Formats: sequence, structure tokens, C-alpha cells
Amino acid sequence: MTVEPASSAGLEAAFLENRDKLLRFLRARGAGEAAEDIVQEVWLKISASRPGPVASPLSYLFRTADLLMIDRFRSTRQADVRDRDWTEVNAGDPPGVSAEPSAERRIAAAQEAATVLALLDGLGARAAKIFRRHRIEGAAQKVVAAEMGISLSTVESDLRVAYRALAEWKERSK
Amino acid sequence: MANDMASDNVIRDEALGWTVRVGDPAFADWEAFTLWLEADPAHARAYDEVAASVADAAQLVVAVAPANDDLKPDEADEAPPRRRRPWLASAIAASLAVVAGFWAFQGQQRDFYTVETALGETRRVTLDADTHIELAGGTAVRFDRKDKRYAQLDHGQALFTVRHDAAHPFEVTVGKERLVDIGTVFDVRHDAQGLSVAVSEGAVQFDPDGADVRVSPGEVLRRAAGAGEYTLTRLPAEQVGEWREGRLTFESASLEDVAAQLKRATGIEYVASPGGSGTVSGSILVAPLRKDPASLGALLGLSVRSENGHWVIGSR
Repeated sequence: MTVEPASSAGLEAAFLENRDKLLRFLRARGAGEAAEDIVQEVWLKISASRPGPVASPLSYLFRTADLLMIDRFRSTRQADVRDRDWTEVNAGDPPGVSAEPSAERRIAAAQEAATVLALLDGLGARAAKIFRRHRIEGAAQKVVAAEMGISLSTVESDLRVAYRALAEWKERSK
Repeated sequence: MANDMASDNVIRDEALGWTVRVGDPAFADWEAFTLWLEADPAHARAYDEVAASVADAAQLVVAVAPANDDLKPDEADEAPPRRRRPWLASAIAASLAVVAGFWAFQGQQRDFYTVETALGETRRVTLDADTHIELAGGTAVRFDRKDKRYAQLDHGQALFTVRHDAAHPFEVTVGKERLVDIGTVFDVRHDAQGLSVAVSEGAVQFDPDGADVRVSPGEVLRRAAGAGEYTLTRLPAEQVGEWREGRLTFESASLEDVAAQLKRATGIEYVASPGGSGTVSGSILVAPLRKDPASLGALLGLSVRSENGHWVIGSR
């Protein structure tokens, strides 16, 4: 009687039971024809990572699928920006070279980080702290609210404000 | 063009809300999220834009985090914990005041439409991405085309799962009574037997202008038809809305109450035996009753007889 295999088996059982729900979610999520492949990726992830006891297996599966989709979007978007920048600077050169992390790119990343920090601080100390506790340190919104002695809806609305600012920041840098 | 821009903004706002909610480790309503995504392909795109921007930013901040760890700790911690309660209390008071104002303003110009279910049927009405109402059989609910934070239960039973917004609480009117949500999931029943409000998550303020009773999770407020008095009793939270899964649980219920609930759930003409007395306790699945209405007798320890197309139930 050990917990570890049992919980992982629970996750795998939940996967098999809810495969169709996950597929439907991924299609709605914009995966299109890749939905089947991504469901497969979710399976590989859960069978490879063997997470500890999971409170809600179904939620865990959906979250894994959602994060995979966000990552796909991020890498496509990054590749688009890279291709465009690269074409502007190096028209005519062979493809692939621009993926090298150059000194310029590292400096650009540091500058971007400074911009994000300034932007978050500009929203006020409370919103900046909420963002840090929740998004960087992974505290649940309820926990952040209790720690700071504020309501959950204040936490939510501060996060909304921060996310809006970050989405606009990304749009500007397109 | 202007309309496109306006709808883009609406979608962006909704996407922001979803990114906040889905991003919380406690988030569980993936079904509602799927429904929102399915409503329009632009939703997934907008959600990706926001979620990816936040993930990009978080990654950048993590990369430089050590240098900024003790960023202005004094300012960030300025709210002392002991102020929590008064603040919450005044927030609730303020939100109720807003409701009163809204009510007075909107009273004359509601634009109603009615959703009705047949006996034995259930139906789900989605008002927004996080707000849906499940109607039990034999139920009529009026909604307002202009106000998605309002519903009126004319008769029957419905389970409300609503997005909480302190600035604009969801309201349900039942007969002359008004319910204001301070939370999320609650079941309302209004029939010949009376009125009941059961809460499984969050809280509901019952009749804020009069009795002003707060119904908390795991509590049910009941009032018999024609009576002025309320009772507030405990109820296992998982029983709230269990009719959606085809289960009904009775605790010291009258025969009339049992007959009415069974009729709503199955469409079968159950009636209480005239002059029948006694109370009924027990939990049953309704599906087998559709095949054999008389099997109710064995399940709940009642007598059941068929009479002129009715199934008359009485105590044994």
C-alpha cells in the first residue's frame, strides 16, 4: 500500500475516462487538427512526471493541456518576431542563424525585464506584490488575500489590472 | 468598424477575467471555460494573447528576481490584518446599497424573456462565461435581456452558479422575496409547498430589505407556503443541486413535498394520498422510477397505488 503509484494510477485513470473532454477542450482552445497530438503530449507528461498525490486529477489534466497550448502560442509568437527582426537585419542570409542567443539579445532581455518591473511597480505596491506572490511564487489567490488582509475580489481585480497592462505591453512590443 | 472594436474590447475583458481565474491553482470549472471558448474562436485567441503575455512577463521577472526580492517591503505590507473585518463588513454594506439603487433604477424597464422546462426535463441557461442556471423539471425562470445579473424564479427549482461581483451582485426574486448572492452556488425552490434556498458555496442574503437572513454554505432556509416564519437548518453541501445527477434526498419531508419533487424530476403524476400524514426521509435515484413508478414504495417505505393515471403515495 503506497500512495505514489495509486495517485499516479488515479491520474491515468482520469485521463482515460476524460480523454474526450480534453479533446473537446483542446479543440475549443484552438488546437485544431493538432488536438489529438496534444492529448498524447498530456498523456506523456503525466506518465513521465509522476506527480505526487493530486487533489483534483481532472483539473490537473486540463491545466496541463492549457499550459501546453499557452507554450505553443508563446513559441509561435516568438518565432514570428524573430523571423521578422531577422529578415529586417539579415535579408539574404541563410535561415536558422538568428536563433543564436547573441549578446544583443541578452541585453534586450535584461532591458525587457526592467520594463516589466517598472510597469508592475507603476501599478502600485499592492498590485505589484499580489502579482509577485501569485504569479512568481505560486500562492493561491485566496492565500494572497488572507495574507494581505484584503478581499479575494480585490486580489482578482488587481491581477486583472496587471494582466491588462502586460497584454498592452506585449502588443506595443509587437 | 466601431462595433468590431467594441466587441474586441468585450472579448479582451472576458479573456482577462478568464486568465485571472484559470491561473489560480484552485480553479476547477473547466467546463464553463470550455463553453466560453467554444462560443467564439476569437475567445481562444484573446485568451492566448493575455495568458502568453503574463507568462512572458513572469519569466522575465523570475530571471531578475533575486536583485529585486526586497522591493519596498514597507509599502507592500501597509494594510494591517486587524482592519480586515471592518473593511469586509463595509464592503458588503456598500454592495447591498448598490443593489438597492440598481433595483430602484431598473424596476421599470426590465425586458423579460421566460425559459421553461417540462416535467422530467432539465435545462441549462448560460448568462455569461461564469454564470449559469440549471432548471429542474416543471420550472419557469424569467431573465432580463438588459441585465444579466438578474433572474426571477416564477415556479419550480433552479440551481444558480454565478460569478461573484461585489459591485453588481446577482439577484434572484422569488415571489415577493429577493435574494442577493454574496457567493456562487445556490439552489432555489418555489412551489406549492413553499420556498427553500440552499447554499453550497459562498452565501446568499435573503430578503435584504426585510428579514435580512444570511444563508451560508451547508445551510438551507425554508418557509412553508403561506407562513411568515423561516427556518434555517443544516444540509450537507453535496446535496445542494443533486437533482441534476438524478438524486433526491428527503429529510422529514411531507408527502406533498415528496410528490411535488418527484413529479418535477420524472414527469410522473405522483400525488400525496389525501389526509395522508407522516414524514419521509431517505435518498433515491429517480431514473428507476421512470420504468417502474411503484418501485418508490420499496425505496422510501411508502405505499404507492395507481389510480386514474395518478400514483398515490401514502405512509405504510
